[in-house]
Amino acid sequence: MEAYLNALTTLSQPTNFIMMYLCALVGCILGAIPGLNGGLGITLLLPICFALSTELSFSMLVAMFVGGVSGSFISAVLIGIPGSASSVATCYDGYPMTKKGQAAKALSIGITASFMGTALSILVAMMCSGAIADIALMLGPWEYFSLCLMAITMVVGLSNGSIYKGLLSAFIGLFLSCVGGDLVTNQLRFTFNNSNLYGGINMVCLLMGLFAVQQVATSFAKGDQKMPEVDKSTLGGFGLTLKDFTDNARNIVVSFLIGLFIGFLPGMGAGISNLIAYGQAKKMDKHPELFGTGYEPGVWATEVSNNAGVGGALIPMISLGIPGDATTVLLLSAMTIKGLQPGPMFIQQNPDLAALIFLIVLVSAILVFITEVLTKRWFPYLLKAPYHYLFGSILVLCLMGAFTSTTSMFSVYLVLGFGALGIIMDAFKMPTTPMMLSFILGGKIESYFRMGCSYARGDMTTFLTRPISLIFILIAVFSVIGPVITKQIKKARSAKV
Amino acid sequence: MKKMNRTYLMGTLALLLAAFIAWQTTMIPERMVSNEPGPKLFPFISAGGIAVFAVLSMIFDGPKDDGKPYLDKAGWIRMLIIIVEVLFFCFMMNFIGFWIAAMMCLFLFFWTLKGDKKINIPFAVILAIGLASICYFGFTRGFHIPLPSGTLWKSVGIKMP
Repeated sequence: MEAYLNALTTLSQPTNFIMMYLCALVGCILGAIPGLNGGLGITLLLPICFALSTELSFSMLVAMFVGGVSGSFISAVLIGIPGSASSVATCYDGYPMTKKGQAAKALSIGITASFMGTALSILVAMMCSGAIADIALMLGPWEYFSLCLMAITMVVGLSNGSIYKGLLSAFIGLFLSCVGGDLVTNQLRFTFNNSNLYGGINMVCLLMGLFAVQQVATSFAKGDQKMPEVDKSTLGGFGLTLKDFTDNARNIVVSFLIGLFIGFLPGMGAGISNLIAYGQAKKMDKHPELFGTGYEPGVWATEVSNNAGVGGALIPMISLGIPGDATTVLLLSAMTIKGLQPGPMFIQQNPDLAALIFLIVLVSAILVFITEVLTKRWFPYLLKAPYHYLFGSILVLCLMGAFTSTTSMFSVYLVLGFGALGIIMDAFKMPTTPMMLSFILGGKIESYFRMGCSYARGDMTTFLTRPISLIFILIAVFSVIGPVITKQIKKARSAKV
Repeated sequence: MKKMNRTYLMGTLALLLAAFIAWQTTMIPERMVSNEPGPKLFPFISAGGIAVFAVLSMIFDGPKDDGKPYLDKAGWIRMLIIIVEVLFFCFMMNFIGFWIAAMMCLFLFFWTLKGDKKINIPFAVILAIGLASICYFGFTRGFHIPLPSGTLWKSVGIKMP
């Protein structure tokens, strides 16, 4: 408790507080621009940290992290292009809501769900980070492999349209994840002697190509250049009633737990949790057919889960010194810059700083929430911009974002390549989500599988003999077979009638 | 004109992709690490998965394909125009640098994407110049993140701001 009081005193110093607020806002803006993210802001801040005090450095860095995750839903809702991988699933219902004139409602849900996810997850992290981190250590490569497999099959099983096309899409994603040096022996694969591919395919390029370039090209080709209408009467106020919360209570709790769990697993992140939570929400809901048509529970699920990953990702970072996702790698770098040793002894050796980090997340989330609620009425005015100005600018921003992610023209050409792939997949009615998820998880699946085999001296049955791993594998198998069996049962029943 | 079944086309392309992946996988040198499957396993799994589900999709989804064209002729022309313009932007970004290329191509994108609508040319020009300049100087001067400065200027010895 004393540590938190000390942290509060540190945070209440005007410089720390103002800089934290400014960084949270900048992170929010970066998160909202397709192609940029809070991680970029943290990268830019890292060199500055050398000259600043530890407290001020972390006030700025952590606030940028929180703002970046919170802001990424804005572009997903308003223009259907995710600010980052953590908001991919938000596009599926957020943008259709905007198209139906419900942009204000979708934004209110996004703002509230983001706040709830971050605030609740950090409260959990404050109370039991040590205990939760111990669970993460108990899981081995066998469980991580099975979990990743389950994540992919769950999303494939729930994707609209043909399950075979969904699985085909997932295997293409798996192939794309194989490009570059493999994570176990660093053997180069499918690089065609191009050094730009040695490190694998950049996630930003895939995201920008599949969403931004594909969307602009197909909407223009189909002559669909109408901007969605905004219902001005709903712009003011908070935008949500108590009924919205009670109706979605179960969905919020489940999505929160998914986000927290995925977040605290080292190497996983919000890019995965939002898709799994979306799939789970669809499975649990009485009207799964409404998902993808602008259905509110879809936005609740994705935004609660991806923000719950903030607290989740900080747990292994603080307690074990293991990054929960790509952005926490940067935060760990900042700790090293400041001469701190992240790991099991960090909280005991630096109780004030650990408390300060948790408190910054909480206060930043509150400040971002208040600011977004107060400024929410102006967000939809983005949709008043004519199509050609808005989407023309987005094209340039996305290609610039791809270049800045690696400072190489090759990334720009990759965006174009993935844009073409997105158009082809759209023409073949093939879902892109399974490909995206298996691309994100492909490297992890492979390295966990190979590590599991290696640790068990080549015995692959270990994946089935460890109980938690077996449960995940059974869920994975059922996720694929389940919809097919259900379809057959329904067919047989209707034939009898 | 006979309608094209897009699922069969997709399946055929996917089978070709699977064959290519499998062929390329055979060329990956194997490093001997005991008790682990090696770097070829997952590429082979992905090739196998693509082939299997391409065939299953052709069998089960193929007959359901309505054969409707994805785009009409005018749609394909519009698609081609925007793709060529984006390619042009990428080429120009490398050749004359991001700043000038972005100014030119932003205006080009505004002009193309407007379709049949009227456009306020002075406003579009100012917006293109303003946005390109904010992005370029914001990143290169503000954040110290480099953007392409153009191979042309380098070759003639001119230093871009």
